[in-house]
Amino acid sequence: MKKILFYILLIAGALIFLYPFIWMITASITPENQIGNLTFIPNKLTLNSYTQMLGKIPIGRAFINSIIVSSAVTFGVLVFGSMVGYALSRLEFKGRNLIFYIIIFTMTLPFQITLIPQYIIMVKFGWVDTYWALIVPYLMNALGIIMFRQYFKSIPQDLIDAARLDGCGEIKIIFKILWPNSIPALITIGIITFMASWNEVLWPLIVIRDSQLMTMPQLVTLFAVGGAAESQLGVKLAAATMLALPIVLAYLFFQQYFIQSMAATGLKE
Amino acid sequence: MRKQFLVIISSVLIILLLISCGSKSQRKSNQLLYWSSNNTQEIDFAGYIVNEWNKHNNSGKVSFQPVPEGQSSEEIILAAVVGKTTPDVYSNMWQGDVEDYARAGVLVALDTLKGFKDFLYNRCDSSVINEVTSPDGHIYQIPWKINPIMLLYNKRIVSALGFKEPPANYDEFNHASEKYKEENIDSHGYVKKWFGYSEVLVTWWQRFFDFYPLYLAASNGAPLVKNYKAAFDNKYAVEVFSFLRNLYEHNYFAKERLSARQDVFLSGIIATRFTGSWEILHTEKFKPEGFEYGFTHIPVPDDHQGPVFTYGDPKNVVIFKTCSNPQLAWDFIHFMIDKKNDLKLSELTNQLPRRKGLIKDSAFAEYFEKNPKMIEFAKQSEYVRGTDPYPNLTEVFDIISQEYEECVIYGKKSPEEAIHEAAKQVNLLYIK
Amino acid sequence: MKTKKFIPYFLVAPYIFHFLLFVAFPVVFSIVLTFHEWNIISPMKYIGLANYTRLFQDKFFSQSLVNTIIFLVIHIPLQIIIALFLAEVLNQKIKFRGFFRAAFFLPVIVSGVVVTILWQQLYGFDTGLFNKILTAIGLGRIGWLVDPSWAMPSIAIMATWKNVGLYIILFLVGLQTVPVHYYEAADLEGATHWQKFFKITLPMINPTIFMVVVLSTIGGFSLFIEPYVMTGGGPLNSTLSAVLYIYKQGFFYYHMGYSATLGLFFALLILSVVAIQKKFIEKDK
Repeated sequence: MKKILFYILLIAGALIFLYPFIWMITASITPENQIGNLTFIPNKLTLNSYTQMLGKIPIGRAFINSIIVSSAVTFGVLVFGSMVGYALSRLEFKGRNLIFYIIIFTMTLPFQITLIPQYIIMVKFGWVDTYWALIVPYLMNALGIIMFRQYFKSIPQDLIDAARLDGCGEIKIIFKILWPNSIPALITIGIITFMASWNEVLWPLIVIRDSQLMTMPQLVTLFAVGGAAESQLGVKLAAATMLALPIVLAYLFFQQYFIQSMAATGLKE
Repeated sequence: MRKQFLVIISSVLIILLLISCGSKSQRKSNQLLYWSSNNTQEIDFAGYIVNEWNKHNNSGKVSFQPVPEGQSSEEIILAAVVGKTTPDVYSNMWQGDVEDYARAGVLVALDTLKGFKDFLYNRCDSSVINEVTSPDGHIYQIPWKINPIMLLYNKRIVSALGFKEPPANYDEFNHASEKYKEENIDSHGYVKKWFGYSEVLVTWWQRFFDFYPLYLAASNGAPLVKNYKAAFDNKYAVEVFSFLRNLYEHNYFAKERLSARQDVFLSGIIATRFTGSWEILHTEKFKPEGFEYGFTHIPVPDDHQGPVFTYGDPKNVVIFKTCSNPQLAWDFIHFMIDKKNDLKLSELTNQLPRRKGLIKDSAFAEYFEKNPKMIEFAKQSEYVRGTDPYPNLTEVFDIISQEYEECVIYGKKSPEEAIHEAAKQVNLLYIK
Repeated sequence: MKTKKFIPYFLVAPYIFHFLLFVAFPVVFSIVLTFHEWNIISPMKYIGLANYTRLFQDKFFSQSLVNTIIFLVIHIPLQIIIALFLAEVLNQKIKFRGFFRAAFFLPVIVSGVVVTILWQQLYGFDTGLFNKILTAIGLGRIGWLVDPSWAMPSIAIMATWKNVGLYIILFLVGLQTVPVHYYEAADLEGATHWQKFFKITLPMINPTIFMVVVLSTIGGFSLFIEPYVMTGGGPLNSTLSAVLYIYKQGFFYYHMGYSATLGLFFALLILSVVAIQKKFIEKDK
């Protein structure tokens, strides 16, 4: 008996976390004037909110922008992160420790202090309203480097030595030897980076003004805050649903990796 | 090793290619680029003007586009200024922004162009010219059009309340509001309909639709800022805050966001609204059978003397310094705002050009016959103010909005305290 | 091969370059900027310590600090209690553990914008779910987002809901590091559940608790999108967060110098607070 009660409470708990999303999806397909009365299942279904939204904001374009930016950033973080991580973990050179401490320092530096100057740099380079501004500042990630360094330390030296004997250059070692043996690290860092990049809103709000270049969360934010939605709740919820959809789908398929990645972040702190 | 290099280089190149797709393309230098606002009617007007100009002029071709979409056109212009991608001519410049850009040196001083001064004195009266002259003596903007804020009212409701004329001062307005409230209160004490409404937003520009027009009306067009000091710490501003605060306290104006519902004016939920002539097109399109409405001046304090001023929401034309041929740009603008095309502007967009003597002008007579509702606006256009020629006006209105929220909406301060505090903050703003 | 010696430098060069451009230079420039007035389009103007004097008289600035404190005071304890509790629950042998874990974690990965839009509706005064429930059980409505005393707490509650999943996972990892035989030994001595919890579990997961506190604090100081979308900083500036104010100063009014001053100050503040927390929490338990 106690067990059943326990599970009921647990399900209630899970519902607390799931219900708002269920409501969002159902409300986005409910006619506007019935949304106020909605609790679980709508009486009528309509795609009106979605058609209106598609007509008001270039959400498809924003989706593509987000894909391009997040993919480029993730790719950069993985490539550059592993380069630096490898150098720090397996190679001897002067200044190695200094670089390591610099990386730790950047992790503790709050972004509030670099925000304005970074914007000004974008202005001076003429990168405002370009993909450059969204991608380049994020190409290096201290956490990613630390994680790569940690992981590479555990790779057996023999593998590397054998590769060197075969005449492999260092670059080849990273991508042909280390990467295939670091799939968990690649997935973890890849997911964290992609997710963080996708959900980033403050920076795009600062450097992108042209609606053709806005990222998806940025576009939905401005849509929710501005007057374009004309206070039509269903339309706002439709936009929010569209924004949530890609990540949620990815989450459903790669759930395990998501959760493991987050746990790994915590452990490294 | 080499193969790895090739792979890396090619991936970097692909990334660069993708990135460059997002960057801006260059503009041809032998054309004039004109940015209009992205209001549909104004786009039509711009298209017409540009066509006519290109047909009859060989001195230089003009191409136009609506200002790019963004959160607000002001932000887009700023981004363009910062990125040095400004057009040659822009016609939707808010008067309050001009001073900031002039000081940054990105606008052409128009009084240095041939034919400008004569044309300006012909088109506008001296108070307008004073308004658009910068403290350094130059003129960086051409007054183009205005949208005076007036009191829109439901004729049926107002007469049903026993008024032959719409309320003209605070006392009459409060009187009408009280009557309307009494008729529309339910058994639980909830008010269902209100005499008037203004958005309870703290956003700085919302004051253009409540505080600022009321202040201009009460003070006969007094400035907000003068000599880099707050000029509104006076009884007029206090009276306006008092009046508005009273409206919210007694629930004559709704505190909730009514704009979430369908048009509350057309459905009779509110009887009046402070708005401009753009409302006409919308109202004509959606009004129910037998609906009658009119415009009158903004209410004034009971002891008011003289004409009633209001805020004109002026939009002006500017030439950016990135233009390679400012004289040509001025010739184009001259064409765009000559009398014939001013008339075309009104016909296409239902907005008034900022030109003196519209009411008596024979060229406009037919237009006013066909659009009688615009006559009130034309009369009002003689008594219209824009904004004062000082920088940082956004912040001034923001400061006023903060005090507005505290005093008028939440009743936490007296009007005197609020105005005094706002003036103090504005003075601090200009000290730096 | 001689080039071999330079390979490490070649590998770290992009990072060094990036660091100099996007970290080192901005920090230095930020400090320089605090002594100037600049609105991007005009030249920079040197104004000495004027930005600093303004900062200490700025009532919006002090308000944003107060708001942040209110947020943290509500958010952190709520976070720890709920996350720890649910982690304990999940640590038991239960069916469908994966499902529950995934459910709790879902809000973490969804964009903050989505969560904010949703909760804005839940908090609606007339039409929101919470007030509907309150009126249904006979209580009065709460002005979640329109009452200045409730607005920031409302955001704190929403932030807890969004992030608790992450901290559940972190606590789970921490709980699983506690050696089972500690509990077994305690059982032999007849310890109650609560005694086991306070004497064994809590001390062992102290590092995790510290991490949760630090992460939540940094999160609280970084609060931006929630107040920006939900309340715009109101009502009566009760939800004006530090970052929102920096953003306003820099990108509504274009006071770049003052905005940089705010940023510098808040950055130093965060570092001090975290350092103090480290001293308190790590030594205490």
